[in-house]
Amino acid sequence: MTRVRYVLTAAWQGFSRNPVMSVASTLTVALMLLLFAFFVVTDRGLQSAIGLLESKVELVTYLSDDAKISQILDVKARIEKDPAVSRVDYVSKDDALRRLRELSANRADLGPIEEIGTNPLPASLEIKLAIAQESRRVADELRAEVGNGVITEVVDNPQVVDKLLTITRVLSVGGLVVLGMMLFVALFVIVNTIRIAVHARRDEIEIMQLVGATDRLVAAPFVIEGMLVGVFGAAIALAVLAVGSGPVTSTLVQFLDILPVSLGPNFLAQLALGVLGFALVMGAGGASISVRSQLSR
Amino acid sequence: MIALEDVSKRYPNGTYALRDIDLRIDAGEFVFNVGSSGAGKSTLNRLLIREELPTTGRVVVDGQDVARLARGEIPYLRRKVGIVFQDFKLLQTKTVFENVAFALIVTGHDGRTLREESERALALVGLAQRRHHFPRELSGGEQQRTAMARALVMRPRVLVADEPTGNLDPVTTWEIMKLLIRVNELGTTVIVATHNAEIVNALRRRVVHLDHGRIIRDEREGLYAA
Repeated sequence: MTRVRYVLTAAWQGFSRNPVMSVASTLTVALMLLLFAFFVVTDRGLQSAIGLLESKVELVTYLSDDAKISQILDVKARIEKDPAVSRVDYVSKDDALRRLRELSANRADLGPIEEIGTNPLPASLEIKLAIAQESRRVADELRAEVGNGVITEVVDNPQVVDKLLTITRVLSVGGLVVLGMMLFVALFVIVNTIRIAVHARRDEIEIMQLVGATDRLVAAPFVIEGMLVGVFGAAIALAVLAVGSGPVTSTLVQFLDILPVSLGPNFLAQLALGVLGFALVMGAGGASISVRSQLSR
Repeated sequence: MIALEDVSKRYPNGTYALRDIDLRIDAGEFVFNVGSSGAGKSTLNRLLIREELPTTGRVVVDGQDVARLARGEIPYLRRKVGIVFQDFKLLQTKTVFENVAFALIVTGHDGRTLREESERALALVGLAQRRHHFPRELSGGEQQRTAMARALVMRPRVLVADEPTGNLDPVTTWEIMKLLIRVNELGTTVIVATHNAEIVNALRRRVVHLDHGRIIRDEREGLYAA
């Protein structure tokens, strides 16, 4: 117990006796964790958007408001005959509006749908494909019919998926590069903070080594100090996230248009735990690197 | 207890601190290690606590070749070989008692052991009354006795004293020497590196004389100079 108290006291003294370095490293860590969190949220959002798109309709043909039901049924029957098509659903103008209402009920940011007097949404045929690779051919065939008085537009969702995948890939790579650089900077700052702490206590370390304290015990206060930096950095990052997540989410939602992106019920808890865990590992890791390099003699 | 077999220590710049040293020190011995500055006394001490490794040869302490110790085993060697220095190396922000207890804390002791063993060591060096003083409030002799208590609280098999009286006046020097002899009488092997001729000549103990890294003399009941 006495040993534990010694370690904790020494760790806190190390942190509090050099406030400039401690605050600097804590803020650097906080900044890095914010980037990390932002990166995770964006990635997760895009992934679930892609998942949603992929599981949904693969092709949509929007229909002219003037098209007769018989014409529409005709087109529908023709599409259903295609062996690459597994299913065709007719979505009426009313259905489309109802969907939008349902969507908006869960989402205050979309504004009041009720104010729209007329129904601006077109009816559509949603086509699911049995053979995903055929989507381009089917889409092209349908596109040839655009302007025939029934079909007004063909939306090729796989293209949207492709674009999203590209965006995700770019964001992943770019995010990882930025994250990597931030991680390096944060580690560098932690390593130096701990280096100064070790220097400040070099007499004590010398005596500990002379009387036969284990390396682990000599290093422990510094590793805890590194973890303190991590915990405080995580606290700041999570506080900023808590305050800023609302606006950021709505911006993201606008960016992704009206896709009902759900990040899952436990996502925020997971994110907070992830940030904290990352911070602890980074703080302890940076401190270990620093202490190890200075004690190895 | 301690055996150096054909030990040489050469520094990267090519100079030899020790050359062809063969030395045996049995458990319970009291040994003066004499010689002028730079003769290799401190290097010898550092080999014993494995602060340095021999370039060639073997250093065996308590049956263990110190060069073969894993890094994790070094602390346990140092719990067996206590050391005190000319400059005491006390922590200025801790009291006498805390300085002594510190050694026990960082080697994993607590509770009653911590208190009782610290008191025992302080009593042994005669500093029980000064336990709440800080090093700056103590005389040089008292500071050295605190350092000795810190080494002895670990109940080491060997106590190495590296110029323990180098900073002390003659009267205090005698106090420290009497204390070292008492520690030896209680069963601890004591090795004292010194160039205080008067002490060595008066006490008539085993003398190992180093000169330019070589042992030039090893006598029972020896004198400082041949």
